Amino acid sequence: MNNFVKSFAIGITVTATMAATNLRAQDVSQDQGNGAPVLSMDQVREKITEYKPGESHLMIVGLTTVGFVTEKNDFTPTGGIKTTAKASSLGDADRYEFSPMFLWRQSNKVLLEFEPSYTGGPTLGVNWADVSFFAAPGCIIRAGYFVVPFGIYSKRLAAGWINKLGSDPVGMDMPGSDFGVEVEGGFPLGSMKWSYDVAITNGFQMDSTGQVSNVGIQSPNPNKTISGRLALLPLSNSSLEIGVSALGGNLYTAPGTIPVSYNNPTMNMYAVDLSYYKKLGNITVNVRAQYQTQTINQQNLPRVDTPSQTYTFNNVVNSGFAQLSIRPTGLENKLRNLELGYRYVTHTAPKESLFGQNWSESDVALCYWLSWRQVVKLCYESISNSTYDLPAQGVTGVGGQGVTNRLIVQFSTEL
Amino acid sequence: MKKMKSIKILGLLLIAVLFFGSTLLTGCKESAKVANKTGAQLWGENCQRCHNTPQPTTFSDEQWETLVMHMQTRALLTNRERDKITVFMQSFNH
Repeated sequence: MNNFVKSFAIGITVTATMAATNLRAQDVSQDQGNGAPVLSMDQVREKITEYKPGESHLMIVGLTTVGFVTEKNDFTPTGGIKTTAKASSLGDADRYEFSPMFLWRQSNKVLLEFEPSYTGGPTLGVNWADVSFFAAPGCIIRAGYFVVPFGIYSKRLAAGWINKLGSDPVGMDMPGSDFGVEVEGGFPLGSMKWSYDVAITNGFQMDSTGQVSNVGIQSPNPNKTISGRLALLPLSNSSLEIGVSALGGNLYTAPGTIPVSYNNPTMNMYAVDLSYYKKLGNITVNVRAQYQTQTINQQNLPRVDTPSQTYTFNNVVNSGFAQLSIRPTGLENKLRNLELGYRYVTHTAPKESLFGQNWSESDVALCYWLSWRQVVKLCYESISNSTYDLPAQGVTGVGGQGVTNRLIVQFSTEL
Repeated sequence: MKKMKSIKILGLLLIAVLFFGSTLLTGCKESAKVANKTGAQLWGENCQRCHNTPQPTTFSDEQWETLVMHMQTRALLTNRERDKITVFMQSFNH
């Protein structure tokens, strides 16, 4: 009897163990041979809901623009005979760009942005390298190297896959990027919105011709430059944006071989900008414009012929553009991918200076959007540019009338 | 020259007073119509200000969270707009 009970107990135990093992095996199924079990759909769903992404995330976006340009330049020097030059280029140094942007979200409060930029030649440029702290609603604090808040073009419209024409408008590269600290944010205003963007940066330096450039990261200038933009979006659908900008600061002047007594040089810049889009039936219309003026106070600059003597002029540079584009976004066929754009550009610099010019440009472009971020452009640019001699200082041969006609074929994409 | 500069500075100050004054009056509040906008509406309205509206399936959930943070610094979106647009873009991945 005892032997029977023992045998029965052992049998039940073995059977129960085998049954449990079998059930577990059915749940996990067979090994695929590489040690990794094949999971059921329920197990996969469970794993997905268990997965929690971390606070940090690194990604690479950016842009690239490549193309071909052919141009014909007619130049008639003052009192001289017209000459013609033709050029063509694959890659096109003025319009080629490869700029990967590294975005590192360190948390929901901190974002690092780095965009190196290769535009041909032996050096690698940088468009921006900064860290942003999302301090509070409507308050983002940024530090590092960033696009100076001035106008709308440089910060938001310059990328090749956003710019509906082939080139950047002349003059919009000022003030560019600089080292400093910035505070920006957007706020609701009833049915409207407004935004602010202010910065303090290292600023600029002026050379002996009266032209300016950035001082760079190690500024010998104890005075900094302050800049800012206020914008209003008065329509509830945010389709219209109007901005006003200002920039001001002392200019550093490096000591030259000949002592020059500058008159506390300062630069002030002002700009207005506008951006508007509207859907009219099947057509989407897009309007963009910016006009800016740059003024340096009256300075006595060394003459070219006799540097111990000086000359002066009203150092005012004005630049602006206005563009219109239309796209039949409401159509159902491939025609909806076409976009036609027109832009007028103006840029004037004082004719009494060594960099005087009067530039006017009309551009037309036909774009074909391969996707929301990839575009092929066929662009035609017609430029009229006057430059000036300074015969009283012995500067001749640079003044005259130039006419350039340029054809660009370009592909641009967000990376 | 000095008079012109004074006029420009006064003009900028006037614009700044108008901005901040109207903000004080409305208390930075958005209207009900604006507050009730969906992520889809905000996506359509704000992205078009600069570029084509992006395809939501282009990026993953995590990528959209990072990208929209970057877009907030460019378009100066409010926090509410940023969050609604992010959730809308992520919804296409599920």
